[in-house]
Amino acid sequence: MATIASMLASTQNPFPCFREPLYSRSRSVVFRSYLEPCGRRIRTIPRFIRACQPSDKVGGEGGSVSASAKSYHFGNELLSFASDNFLPLALVTGVGMGFANPTLGCLADKYSLSKFSTCGIFIISGLTLRTEAIGAAVKGWPLGIFGLASILLLTPSFSRLVMLFQLQPQELVTGLGIFCCMPTTLSSGVALTHLAGGNSALALAVTVASNLFGILTIPFWVSRYIAGGVGVSFPTDQLFRSLIVTLLVPLIIGKVIRESFKGFANFVDNNRKLFSRMNAICLSLVPWIQVSRSRSLLLSVEPKVFLAAIGIGILLHLSLLAFNALSIRILSGLSGDYNSKNSKGNGTAVLLVASQKTLPVMVAVVEQLRGAFGEPGLLVLPCVAAHLNQIMIDSILVNVWLRKSNASSSTDGGSDSEDESDIEEEIQEVQNNDINNRYLQDNSDDDDDTDTKRVIKPTKDKRFEEMTHTVEQMKNAMKINDWVSLQENFDKVNKQLEKVMRITEAVKPPTLYIKTLVMLEDFLNEALANKEAKKKMSPSNSKALNAMRQKLKKNNKLHEEEINKYREAPEVEEENEPEDEDDDDEEDEDEEDDDSKEAVTDEEVDETTDTRWETMLNKKDKQMEKLLSKDPKEITWDWVNQKFKEIMAARGRKGTARFDLVDQLTHLTKIAKTPAQKLEILFSVISAQFDVNPGLSGHMPIKVWKKCVLNMLTILDILVKYTNIVVDDTIEPEENETSKPADYDGTIRVWGNLVAFIERIDTEFFKSLQSIDPHTREYVERLRDEPMFLALAQNIQDYFERMGDFKAAAKVALRRVESIYYKPQEVYEAMRKLAELVEEDEEAEDAEEESGPISSFIVVPEVVPRKPTFPESGRAMMDLLVSLIYRNGDERTKARAMLCDIYHHALMDNFGTARDLLLMSHLQDNIQHMDISTQILFNRTMAQLGLCAFRVGMITESHSCLSELYSGQRVRELLAQGVSQSRYHEKTPEQERMERRRQMPYHMHINLELLEAVHLIGAMLLEVPNMAANSLEARRRVISKNFRRLLEISERQAFNAPPENVRDHVMAATRALTKGDFQTAFEVLNSLEVWRMLKNRDSILEMVKARIKEEALRTYLFTYSSSYESLSLEQLAKMFDVTEAQVHSIVSKMMINEELHASWDQPTRCIVFHEVQHSRLQSLAFQLTEKLSVLAESNERAMEARTGGGGLDLSSRRRDNNQDYAGAASGGGRWQDNNMSSGYGGRQGNNRSGYGGRPGQPRDWSGQNRGGGYASRAGSGNRGGGMQMDGSTRMVSLNRGVRT
Amino acid sequence: MEETKENYDLTPRVAPNLDRHLVFPILEFLQERQLYPDEQILKFKIELLNKTNMVDYAMDIHKSLYHTEDAPQDMVERRAEVVARLKSLEEAAAPLVTFLLNPNAVQELRADKQYNLQMLKERYQIGPDQIEALYQYAKFQFECGNYSGAADYLYQYRTLCSNLERSLSALWGKLASEILMQNWDIALEELNRVKEIIDSKSFASPLNQVQNRIWLMHWGLYIFFNHDNGRTQIIDLFIQDKYMNAIQTSAPHLLRYLATAFIVNKRRRPQLKEFIKVIQQEHYSYKDPIVEFLACVFVNYDFDGAQKKMKECEEVIVNDPFLGKRVDDGNFSTVPLKDEFLENARLFIFETYCRIHQRIDMGVLAEKLNLNYEEAERWIVNLIRTSKLDAKIDSESGTVIMEPTQPNVHEQLVNHTKALSGRTYKLVTQLLEHSQGQAAR
Repeated sequence: MATIASMLASTQNPFPCFREPLYSRSRSVVFRSYLEPCGRRIRTIPRFIRACQPSDKVGGEGGSVSASAKSYHFGNELLSFASDNFLPLALVTGVGMGFANPTLGCLADKYSLSKFSTCGIFIISGLTLRTEAIGAAVKGWPLGIFGLASILLLTPSFSRLVMLFQLQPQELVTGLGIFCCMPTTLSSGVALTHLAGGNSALALAVTVASNLFGILTIPFWVSRYIAGGVGVSFPTDQLFRSLIVTLLVPLIIGKVIRESFKGFANFVDNNRKLFSRMNAICLSLVPWIQVSRSRSLLLSVEPKVFLAAIGIGILLHLSLLAFNALSIRILSGLSGDYNSKNSKGNGTAVLLVASQKTLPVMVAVVEQLRGAFGEPGLLVLPCVAAHLNQIMIDSILVNVWLRKSNASSSTDGGSDSEDESDIEEEIQEVQNNDINNRYLQDNSDDDDDTDTKRVIKPTKDKRFEEMTHTVEQMKNAMKINDWVSLQENFDKVNKQLEKVMRITEAVKPPTLYIKTLVMLEDFLNEALANKEAKKKMSPSNSKALNAMRQKLKKNNKLHEEEINKYREAPEVEEENEPEDEDDDDEEDEDEEDDDSKEAVTDEEVDETTDTRWETMLNKKDKQMEKLLSKDPKEITWDWVNQKFKEIMAARGRKGTARFDLVDQLTHLTKIAKTPAQKLEILFSVISAQFDVNPGLSGHMPIKVWKKCVLNMLTILDILVKYTNIVVDDTIEPEENETSKPADYDGTIRVWGNLVAFIERIDTEFFKSLQSIDPHTREYVERLRDEPMFLALAQNIQDYFERMGDFKAAAKVALRRVESIYYKPQEVYEAMRKLAELVEEDEEAEDAEEESGPISSFIVVPEVVPRKPTFPESGRAMMDLLVSLIYRNGDERTKARAMLCDIYHHALMDNFGTARDLLLMSHLQDNIQHMDISTQILFNRTMAQLGLCAFRVGMITESHSCLSELYSGQRVRELLAQGVSQSRYHEKTPEQERMERRRQMPYHMHINLELLEAVHLIGAMLLEVPNMAANSLEARRRVISKNFRRLLEISERQAFNAPPENVRDHVMAATRALTKGDFQTAFEVLNSLEVWRMLKNRDSILEMVKARIKEEALRTYLFTYSSSYESLSLEQLAKMFDVTEAQVHSIVSKMMINEELHASWDQPTRCIVFHEVQHSRLQSLAFQLTEKLSVLAESNERAMEARTGGGGLDLSSRRRDNNQDYAGAASGGGRWQDNNMSSGYGGRQGNNRSGYGGRPGQPRDWSGQNRGGGYASRAGSGNRGGGMQMDGSTRMVSLNRGVRT
Repeated sequence: MEETKENYDLTPRVAPNLDRHLVFPILEFLQERQLYPDEQILKFKIELLNKTNMVDYAMDIHKSLYHTEDAPQDMVERRAEVVARLKSLEEAAAPLVTFLLNPNAVQELRADKQYNLQMLKERYQIGPDQIEALYQYAKFQFECGNYSGAADYLYQYRTLCSNLERSLSALWGKLASEILMQNWDIALEELNRVKEIIDSKSFASPLNQVQNRIWLMHWGLYIFFNHDNGRTQIIDLFIQDKYMNAIQTSAPHLLRYLATAFIVNKRRRPQLKEFIKVIQQEHYSYKDPIVEFLACVFVNYDFDGAQKKMKECEEVIVNDPFLGKRVDDGNFSTVPLKDEFLENARLFIFETYCRIHQRIDMGVLAEKLNLNYEEAERWIVNLIRTSKLDAKIDSESGTVIMEPTQPNVHEQLVNHTKALSGRTYKLVTQLLEHSQGQAAR
């Protein structure tokens, strides 16, 4: 047997089971099991047992071995038959041996081997007895009680009848009589119950109970019926004692051993077969010894008489059966639940158990009698015969039942396969319970599949029933010529058909439906031909007729083929049906074989459900399977190729289950003949896996994603191992390219695109993160998969680099960059550690997997490391990748990599580097022309740059980075961190969907509160002194419009509530700062929550404080300078808690910049303020000049608007007189809104003074004159610190791409 | 201070942008200054020479370094090789060289390059091969240290060469030769020539162009700090957008020289403001006492800090190979640039100081200027007399009193409106042009 098992396991894995995608329950189990690797490990053992189980059943059913199984099961058929009917065979052998050579048997008897054997039997019974089995029996108690009663009380009375027979020698009859008083068999009854699909637990319970009680009742009955008849006194107590010793004690010992040693119990459960074998051998020892002993006597007996005794035995058993069957039926009828499956199982169990009588107890009794009723050998002999008989009869009976139920199901055609599957299920279930009971208790799996079976099956049947019902109605409607209802019903049938098809996963509609169609067509033609009848119809009826005609025509076209087939041979079709079903049955067996192997190999497959479903598969798939479960030796490249093409052809077709496609292809990869072919198929597998989720919005199931990654790794393994294989998607490879063997010399081209795949995998990963709720554990779990992706990407990149395809490598590198760039060093570190950790786990798992009997033709060792390697710091990794991309990437790749690089630099607080990179790359100039996701990346980068500038204390830069981001109210949208509602324009659903697709996953978000705080604080620090300086002409120089607006709003409020959000805080701080109250201002800001987001919070707050002091000082001076004649340095320093040197520096700066009209008086260390008072005329004159320049400016603007694209040549001329135009260009910010190109032009005009004097970007580097640059309105920024980066902050309008 | 000296030494940053031969002067300077151990410098030199053809020189250094009389075998071999190669090159270039040595023949050459080539080919059987050989020969001569020969040949080559790339190379070679020969005037000419070509030529990649510029700026350092007019030239060159960009991206250490030039040169004051901005911006990438001095004076108004920096600057200047050029004046050897720098720096401080002060104590001023009271007074009086400073000295309290400089309202108004007319005029012409253009169309 073990050989069979191993052989089955080693054969090629059968066709993977067709799974139903809708079948969420079992899938969830699968997922769970995947997530809990230990669960899987436990499961492998029982699986293995199950793996050999179905083949036993094949033998048990009388050798109905399927044709395909025959091919390699042939030699084992006999063996399996023998193993299944081991008990009867052993008995017969025992008897035969006894006859043939009595000496051995006599010797055995001398050492009272029979006693030991009896003990052995019960120890084994005890060992194999499960506690829960007894418990399960309790549920069927009414029938159980009847069974007990029947065994213990009713059937013994049959001995009366038996005793009526007169035979010479009388011992034969007496033996049978005693036999009647015995309780039920110990093992065969239970075993047969399994086979018949009865409640085996109940059978066990009844067996145990009756044997126990039997000890009490046997002496009574024997003395009553037999001893009375023969007239011999009966040693009741002695028998009782010996029974207890030989029966109960061993049983209990066995049970105790079982309970106390768990490992032993496991061993027993795993080797149940072996133990039942031992049991049978022990059992057969008894007749052997008995027969040996009484051989001489036996020989004296006339064969005729013996035959008669056997006949009596058979008769006895039959009558017992009849009696029990009758009583059970009556009993069930009384309780009224005969039809339910449970009671049916119970009935079977009781019937079988109650009708059988045990030989071992009988032997024990006879032993105890010590020849009181005559020669023990003669007494036992008929009983041995009777025992054999009853087993034979019952097994035949069981077979007959099974066959009967099969037959009944097949005559019902496709519409009703319930019985068949029902019984099968029961068999299966019983087997599960019996052999795999541990499985049941350890895994919820079994529960699941019984559950699902119960749920799913009725729905399917219901659908069929509904359909049948509707068809019936249609027939009725036809009879009365009611087209209206006919039409309604026709629609209904079509709807039902869909459901049925969906449930059964069938491609072809059921025959019933076709039949109906044909019928309808005929009837329709008839009705149309009959014009008179047509005229007579009611208008609604005739209308329906016409509608029906059209519908039918359309509908029939779809099913034309089937209809024609049906028309050609309606009978044949119908007759074929049952046969097919039979075939299917056989195949089912076959598939179960395969399945079980599959189960061993593929942890994902929930085999029980699969077999369930397979029974309902349509023929086409069956054929496929048949081919796929082909003998491994017959598989050739051509065959696989052909199969592959077939499957690929089905891709995308309606009705093709996507999961199935994946499974089929996965199987093909295992049987692929050449590495190239395997590669080719693997590519298709991955494509198919991508297809699993059709929608753009949803993401790929995570499970599938992981498989996909693994597949990719396998592909890489192959590619690395067989370096002559080249993956290419530009040329169509030759037809038989993949047939070239592994050792082929030249290059083999396989169609495929690794980059596209890796990008898709990344995208799917991204999408999954988008759609998973970030506050769940699932999200975290998902994030943990990132190292897996990184490992893959790294490997692919390495591969490309080795192959010299640096372009592709750059693309892959970009993907890697994009998954790293937003990670600060801490996060990066964490990921690095996680990757190491996870991979260790995974490796352990892999090892586990490897131990399983997976074998494919092309075994690919894991050449490619599964572990991503990370350099110590994220920066190092970024540098590595980014430099590769800069060297080899295309424009977009480079741009994105650059942005990521900048972002990362900013994250690391390298503001200078980040800024230089940004400026040198000209990204701000052409970001408008890039795709939206790059624009978003740009915005994110700008935001991060702003934060970085703030962190390093460069407020002006920070503000100019962020100001444009906040100029509209669409920060969320710009950063793709949520959708902001806009009051003014409604978005179309299309736009909204697009926007949702662009969203950043939560872990990549830039904290908006922090961003807002930074922006507003920056604006405050710049704007407050600015406002103070220009208090008279407030409108003129506005640094942050946004801030001004907010300030206005807050000033309009009658009462100021304590600050709640960021904005309130900053406004409160602003109010304090305007008065020069730096302490309050800082305290308010300090109370902000967002600071905890910052790494070096203290130093940043320190910086903020210093800046606030400085600005407070400046504000104070601006505001109150007119009230002072002089101010001492000391006083100022004390007032603002700043060192004198700082005050001096600040004030000096203000003086130099002519912001403050004052000068130092060195000896007294005072600021002396100069009164600069303009006369009215003078100030009016100033206003006039102001107006004039505005006028000139507007003229210029009008001119530029007219000349349109002339912006560029205008600017070239303008460059000549930069200085003059600086003022004009200060309006550049506004121009930009009106006219982009002229905005550029204007900006370019003064790029020399732009961006804090980094004069002009290296415009000529690229040899062309670009507009823009990082020009700014520095014309207005004549302050010393007027370094503004307006040009660099030109933000992106997201909607531009969508709307226009 | 030992440590900082080395920190301020820019040789490691400058050297990669120089020709091998150009590094020698620097090394010589360093050797003289004793900033590094002699041995180290000698080793450097050998390493440097190994790639050149100046084998004999290398041998000498080797001998002095290891105090032996034997040259290593590989050097001897190399020497033979060099000599052999020189021979072969000489032969190859011989026809052209003889032609060029013949003054009569040379006179036949005209301005027309095409004609010259034609003529050479027809009359002297000198084709492109020979011309190419001339270049190789010149190059070899240069490698051997025969700069004047190289310069001559390269000059001739340029008149005959038709290949732009080669022509540029030749120009570079010429420039290097002139620098090494210390012909500063010619070198400056060559420099401008190279600059023109760099600016006008379209390079394969922008990066290439930047690299060329950086080379040019580095090489130019020799000229700028030796030529009389160099300090203006350096500002004019470096402050150009393109060159400033190159400095910012790749060679921020050049800011030191620019800063020095700005401080020393009074004529380019207007550009100073711009330069200050650059300094502020590059603050994170490059630090240098000289640059920091400017930042102190013009950004932070930290005069005490500026004072300190000035002292550091002195060190830097003395130890800088370009700035610390010595002039032997009898027994003294002075660094003229240093004195000039200090003088001007002092002036810088004072000027700025005065701008924001109304009254300054003479004592403090003297201290700030590193002068004694008397000197300070004299200095200020001088300033007032040359009307560089609008101030008066109050001897009684010992203070300088600045005359308040009220901004003139009229001047302001004029400034505001001056631009308007120009703008309007431009606008009108533009409009006219535009309409004409349209009419013409």
